[in-house]
Amino acid sequence: MTTAVATRAPLARQLRSELRWILRRPRTVIGLGLLCVVPVLAGVGLWFAVDNAGGPAGPGLAAIIAGNGLVLPIFTLFLSLPLLLPLVGAIWAADGLAGEANSGTLRGLMVAPVGRIRLLGVKAFGIATMSLFAVTLMAFVGTITGIALFGMDGMLTISGTTLSVGAAVGRIVLTILLVTFQMWAVAAVALAISACTEHPLVVMAATMAGLIVFAVLGAFSSLDWLQPYLITSAWDGLADVMRDPLPTEGLWNSTALAACYLVIGLSLAAIRLVTKDG
Amino acid sequence: MTTSTSARVEPASAGSTPVLAARTRGLRKTYGNTVAVDRVDLDLPEGAVMGMLGPNGSGKTTTIRMLLGLVRPTEGEVELLGRPLPDGAAESLPHVGALVEGPGFHPFLSGRENLRRAAAFEPLLATGSVKQAVEDALERVGLAQAAHRRYRGYSLGMKQRLGLAAALLVPRKLIVLDEPTNGLDPAGTREVRKVVHDLHTAGSTVLVSSHLLSEIEAICTHVAVLHRGTVVAQGELAELLQADSSALQVTTSDVDSALNALRAARISARPAEDGVRVELIGTTAPAVFRTLVQADVEIQEATRTRTGLEDLFARLTEAGESDHLSTVDTIEQGAR
Amino acid sequence: MNRRKVTVAVAAAGVVAGVAGLGVLAMPAGAGPAPALPQVDAQSLVESVLTAKPAAFGGTVDVNNSLGIPTIAGIPQLSDGASQIRMWTDGEGRARVSMPSGSSERTIVDDGETLWTWNSETQTVTKAPHGDAEPDAKPELGLGLGQDGKPLDPLSLARDVVGEVEKTSTVTVDGTARVANRSAYELVLTPKPTERTVLREVRIAVDSELRIPLRVAVLTNGTDEAAVQVGFSEITVGAQDAGLFRFTPSASAKVEEKKAEEPSEQDKAEAEKVFGQVAPQVVGDGWDSVIVAKLPADQLTGLQAPADEPGRSDRPRRGGADQTDPQALLKQLGKQVSGSWGNGTLISSKIGNVLLADDGRIALGAVPEQVLTEAIGQLK
Repeated sequence: MTTAVATRAPLARQLRSELRWILRRPRTVIGLGLLCVVPVLAGVGLWFAVDNAGGPAGPGLAAIIAGNGLVLPIFTLFLSLPLLLPLVGAIWAADGLAGEANSGTLRGLMVAPVGRIRLLGVKAFGIATMSLFAVTLMAFVGTITGIALFGMDGMLTISGTTLSVGAAVGRIVLTILLVTFQMWAVAAVALAISACTEHPLVVMAATMAGLIVFAVLGAFSSLDWLQPYLITSAWDGLADVMRDPLPTEGLWNSTALAACYLVIGLSLAAIRLVTKDG
Repeated sequence: MTTSTSARVEPASAGSTPVLAARTRGLRKTYGNTVAVDRVDLDLPEGAVMGMLGPNGSGKTTTIRMLLGLVRPTEGEVELLGRPLPDGAAESLPHVGALVEGPGFHPFLSGRENLRRAAAFEPLLATGSVKQAVEDALERVGLAQAAHRRYRGYSLGMKQRLGLAAALLVPRKLIVLDEPTNGLDPAGTREVRKVVHDLHTAGSTVLVSSHLLSEIEAICTHVAVLHRGTVVAQGELAELLQADSSALQVTTSDVDSALNALRAARISARPAEDGVRVELIGTTAPAVFRTLVQADVEIQEATRTRTGLEDLFARLTEAGESDHLSTVDTIEQGAR
Repeated sequence: MNRRKVTVAVAAAGVVAGVAGLGVLAMPAGAGPAPALPQVDAQSLVESVLTAKPAAFGGTVDVNNSLGIPTIAGIPQLSDGASQIRMWTDGEGRARVSMPSGSSERTIVDDGETLWTWNSETQTVTKAPHGDAEPDAKPELGLGLGQDGKPLDPLSLARDVVGEVEKTSTVTVDGTARVANRSAYELVLTPKPTERTVLREVRIAVDSELRIPLRVAVLTNGTDEAAVQVGFSEITVGAQDAGLFRFTPSASAKVEEKKAEEPSEQDKAEAEKVFGQVAPQVVGDGWDSVIVAKLPADQLTGLQAPADEPGRSDRPRRGGADQTDPQALLKQLGKQVSGSWGNGTLISSKIGNVLLADDGRIALGAVPEQVLTEAIGQLK
């Protein structure tokens, strides 16, 4: 017998199967549905605020929403970044390894065999793709809602300048990428936790607890020295995308910070997965 | 890569030793201070249907998990289809189908979708033949009718069958079934037996773990008995039983003098119904007869007892510690 | 076995790299080695600064403030902590200054004819044609910080500082430094021993080529850390995009025009009136000069008002917060002191003190409390 032996299933097929698996999950569908509701709710809320106050609808980005519908997707993404998006990412990460271990399917994959690093890659790909999809979906719904409720005439930046529609779409896409990358970093850490347990709830709870602890640590001025290490403290700075001219230093910095978390998370997950008993 | 697993195995067959589908040496696994498995030397000949017997907690599942590369042994080595684990896993595992620790599937997917997902990760399946392989496997375990239903709603037996179907997605060289008849009704059990029989006929090697002795006795050609984390006996089932049937049932009315004579000759014997039962340990049947005749004991009938697997298993696993050790030696010598 | 060990090793290296990356990101940017520059004596360096032509540049100014003064809402650049200012100038009088804070921003654009002020928090634009009120205010800055919420431009600040303290200070060149990737001389102004001041020295990094100040640090007695440091973290010298010096208010923004005639005259008259009543005078000179003035008690409220944003009247929601009694507020911030001069409140910061007597007299300077009370005693 000299037939060639395939030792790995084709990667594309594995990735496709992973995505289909995530999308078939009822909680994925519900989660994505909720994410779509957020920009609509935020938009309607701001619309009433603008109507009633006759002045700025709120602090920060909300202040420039009047007549400036293209800000809504960006506003919504920043609104969801601290809690909602990490939660969704953590759910996918939790289901990815802990959930599969819990339902007994992880050992099936390992015996197939899917190499453990390959398995981590497939899982990371699934979560990353779904995160990008979720953020894009949210931004899309936000854009439509924003234009419908507030209209648009280019995009007013918080620097007071007005961007063309093309540039505005560029800013929205940039925000999608930046927010997605932050979400990846959180999900990577969640994936590392996921590799250590068989209980998806533990992963979700640990991830959210971690974020809350980070947020609390960031609130103490006596812990200022800790700030540059906290991924959460970089999130406020993402509002830079709404400045003109675009200041890139802070954005690079927060992205680099997220990249560090991403590398740490994936590396820890790899170590755990490779040494783990299935 | 053009070397197939069997190509690697073949050189071994040129030697005098039989080709082994799986082989472990000095396998040991500890969890903290607990020793789960110790000094397991398992030889699984190619083409055999080996039953792995042992009480709960005897290390069956741990051994199987180490055999499949799921668990890393603390000590010792595993060779699967001629390749060492874990480095050779990528080459050997595609040829291995397994149902370990119960079926594992996603409750929110249908049986068919579950199998499709499992099939997507099977290296030996061409992408084009995934669908057909899934339908064939469903058909084979009798789940074709229920394939569209969610796994959540499956009965225990259906779940078990789906697990079997996943192990049978690809023609395998080795199939490892951990408690395959768990939760199955008698009809389901018969089907599993048939599947195993078919696999055996087709030349696959099967490793079945079970605590159901009758099942093992019915379908296995080989058996390995695990007790307290170690293999206390292994070999061909017939040989093992033969070796164990080393007792003589001597029917006599003169029980007392028979016992005295045999004990004087240091032959182990005890009273039994209508006579005495003589253990042929360290002695032979003619020697027993000679002793009895010399003692003028009337022998009406003497028969070699045929112990069932159940007796063997009971003796191996329920014996006291010291007794147990000597028994193991005896049995293992007998088995070789 | 080996493959696994390699994987673990690589992944462990990944963890280490990630953690190291966090450390690198958290570390403040290193200053880099001091550049080797031709010797220059202090006198000619100061001169070259004073005569330097304004250059076109754009850059980011880091403001590190640990004055210990209370937070000023909405303007982090004047509050304790680190903040940034982004500025662009074409060297011909047009400039743009952005003061980001959180997710809002104030932008000031001077297009040569009109001064535009944008506040994203209120979505308002203020349009002020060039009048005389603005330039008038500037020379008064002296050693102090911008009083009107304007950014601390290192150029004007340093130039003012140099001119002011030459007579009473020792001026030296203390080596070189690297600021915003440019070579600079470190000019150090130290008060002469006779000066009674809380300041230890002022360090100004002067660009070796353009002779503009790139960084100003004010150091006080008893600490190595600068009380205030304003310096470029990034600067691009050369012509800037002309679009930066234009401002077009968006359709959705409220535009308030400060008309040249009527309000400005009223303002001026008001200002003159207040100025006359207050009659500020300087006691002492150099580092220990103290500005003393007397406000009518009812003007304490008025003192607060000019610092606030224009257009406060149509912001009823915020009005509530603004209308808190400033007297009570001041008493909270400072400590009560009394002496032969009377009773009052002393507000301290690292670089100086303000003494507010209950009868409306006020004294401020970069001096210890004792010098203030002496000065306030001279004002009757």
